[in-house]
Amino acid sequence: MNLSNRIDEMMAKVMKPSRYLGSEFGSIMKNPEDISVRYAFLFPDVYEVAMSHLGMKILYHTLNKLGDVWCERVCSPWPDMEKLMEENDVPLFSLESRTPVKEFDLLGITLQYEMSFTNILKALELSGIALYQKDRQDGPFVICGGPCAYNPEPLCDFVDVFTLGDGEEAIHQTVDVYKRWKASGAPREEYLKMCAREVDGAYVPSLYDVVYNENGTIKSVTPKEGSGAKELVFKALVNDLTAADYPEKLIVPYGEVVHDRIMLEIFRGCTRGCRFCQAGMVYRPVRERSMDRLLEIADKLVKATGFDEISLMSLSSGDYSCLPELAHEMITRYMNKRVKISLPSQRIDTFLKDTLKETQKVRKTALTLAPEAGTQRLRDVINKGVTEEDLIRAVTDAFEEGWSAVKLYFMIGLPTETDEDVLGIADLAEKVRKAYFSVPKDKRAPGLRITVSASVFVPKAHTPFQWSGQLDKETVIRRQKMLKMELNKVKGVDFKYHEPDVSYIEAVFARGDRRLSRVLDEAVKLGCHFDGWTEFFDNEKWMKAFENAGVDPDFYAARNIDVNECLAWGHIDSGVSQAFLKREWEKAQRAETTQDCRKGCVGCGVKRYGGACE
Amino acid sequence: MRAIFRFGKIGRLKFVSHLDLQRYMQRAFNRTELPVAFSQGFNPHPVMSFASALAMGWVSEYEILDVKLDKPIAKEFALKEMRNALPPELPVYEVKFVDDRHASMMSLVKMSDYEIEIFENMDKIKEAAREFLLSDTVMAIRKTKSSEREINIRPLCVYLSSQDNILKCRLMLTEADTLKPDLLLKTLSEMASIEVPRAQIKRTRLIGLAKSGRETPLMEL
Repeated sequence: MNLSNRIDEMMAKVMKPSRYLGSEFGSIMKNPEDISVRYAFLFPDVYEVAMSHLGMKILYHTLNKLGDVWCERVCSPWPDMEKLMEENDVPLFSLESRTPVKEFDLLGITLQYEMSFTNILKALELSGIALYQKDRQDGPFVICGGPCAYNPEPLCDFVDVFTLGDGEEAIHQTVDVYKRWKASGAPREEYLKMCAREVDGAYVPSLYDVVYNENGTIKSVTPKEGSGAKELVFKALVNDLTAADYPEKLIVPYGEVVHDRIMLEIFRGCTRGCRFCQAGMVYRPVRERSMDRLLEIADKLVKATGFDEISLMSLSSGDYSCLPELAHEMITRYMNKRVKISLPSQRIDTFLKDTLKETQKVRKTALTLAPEAGTQRLRDVINKGVTEEDLIRAVTDAFEEGWSAVKLYFMIGLPTETDEDVLGIADLAEKVRKAYFSVPKDKRAPGLRITVSASVFVPKAHTPFQWSGQLDKETVIRRQKMLKMELNKVKGVDFKYHEPDVSYIEAVFARGDRRLSRVLDEAVKLGCHFDGWTEFFDNEKWMKAFENAGVDPDFYAARNIDVNECLAWGHIDSGVSQAFLKREWEKAQRAETTQDCRKGCVGCGVKRYGGACE
Repeated sequence: MRAIFRFGKIGRLKFVSHLDLQRYMQRAFNRTELPVAFSQGFNPHPVMSFASALAMGWVSEYEILDVKLDKPIAKEFALKEMRNALPPELPVYEVKFVDDRHASMMSLVKMSDYEIEIFENMDKIKEAAREFLLSDTVMAIRKTKSSEREINIRPLCVYLSSQDNILKCRLMLTEADTLKPDLLLKTLSEMASIEVPRAQIKRTRLIGLAKSGRETPLMEL
């Protein structure tokens, strides 16, 4: 029986077989005989999550535009399927042609969150690809990109090449280099060296030596002599998003996926400078897509997919320079076609009453705001340039316009946080409640619902808080309980918070180094996978993995790093300079804010590289 | 007026659930220029229904989609638009138009024809089928979402025959009386004292009753 039939045999036994079907409307089939490079793109999580990821859609589209390259999708099989595949000796396969991943030329993997790392190892294992890069003699080159590539060190032992930054152009370079390498007949290592020299943002970990100090900290990370690898690897940067490739067709899944709609990326980057936010730092500078181009893409995608909703995507959609015009134009254009427009990550201080009114015509979901911290002092520490007044004005406006549900997002464990800051969250919730009742009864919608969500702060590489240790678990739990008690006093509030264990592991890997590869290996052997899913996360197994690997997780998660210490990710350059991050870290301690850089350059370092920021 | 499409569900798409197929069809309509009528309300959706849900894993060459239109259109146009909007595994075979007052296709379904392709032990199944046809009463447990009940399934089988390794049957399919082909196969296997053989079920026709009472394919009613 061929592989496809063997997969079909398993379909009757798994939940949601549509995850493994492929052949959706818009998926791309090609004749393998016309293809010179076969590219497998792995999203290391389940199909419904993978199919909600914009980056994969962009890269799938841009690669498949080429006649001689075929990019196919690969997702992590859900544990029921994973088990069946192992029992039946079915290797990990692509969705389109159901080809074993091992037969591809290149395997691209996106690193969206640290808790997917075990799934990457599991995917290599299911594919029959040698787990350790040094043992790999055949099969595809493993290339990883995405936000977690900004601290790639925990994955170094498993990965051939990391690509930092925007993928639209760099992914083509990895393919071009592959063609030349293949034609040259050179040994495997030569492809890696060629990437390090020629591909924008390429980091080849095997070309570097790491030396440690006696106290366990890093002494140096340096390129191997004669390897041609750069001392400091700068990310790939696409300066003109209007001209950049964007999908004009999308795959329409059969089953329901997380983001079941058209995603329209209106701009990349953020000028705000929130000090906890890795995306806000590493995606700099801000690059907008022109309104004309966005409307053109939207038109094509509505026709090509039949989706009835468009999300405007960015880190801070309210900051788009023509947002009112864009929102107005889209809403009027699609009203008769029953296509809804939604603005997902709304910022309160740029909230526009007019746009609110426009959106209301189409639909009214919960208003989502992220003050992040409960007091002004702490909001200044994290440089969240939002005041209580802004917040109350925004919710009052929304209540007057007929909203009655508000979601408020916060973090617990931010640097310098005190009990008082946490209690401030309840205070803010109470003020939101009062704002609702300040609107006359005949003017407001009935049924006030306030949801307060508090996640646990995780310090991330390439942010001003990269030097900060994570707050200890006991204090986090105590403050969560304290806040819960306090919020009980505010009527109509639903409080959501997370177990701190997952955030702790996340913190370990977010600031981890190469010595953590052993831990990942052990964790997978112990059965860790899908760690981002509460039903599969198993803290005991993780603790056992650290023990087996002889690694102290506190060294990575809890430790305050000295600003003069050599960072595990110090040889990676996100564009934002370490000097700027240091300045910001010092200002944070003094609760001093830094302005939004649209109001004037703050010297983050991105200007060094020219382009969009000039 | 309403458009009645007959389409197939083949290949890998047999694993798409009925619920997913419904959502998928709604989007497919959005990809067409067909003047589909939409429901009123906050979340408008095309006014459409399927004559009968198909179980996951079965293939079919006789699925019926009944959709309301705002204005009349030509057959060729309807077929072209739908074929462009659907993948090859959902082939559109034919379309006809009926008046809005025409009974819903769902309410017309009385029976369904199936072909059960059997991959092992066909001889034993054939023997059991002969015994089945000679009996007046064959008891089997019918499971529904809410209950489990032992019923006589013999009268629910209108006909049954075999050809090579394929069982052909016409089974009742109404709200009150339904026999699903997998239960028939399971019952035959029990009669033959064998494990249920690997098999592929295919729906070949949906049957209603003409005014004369004659059993008639749904598209011809």
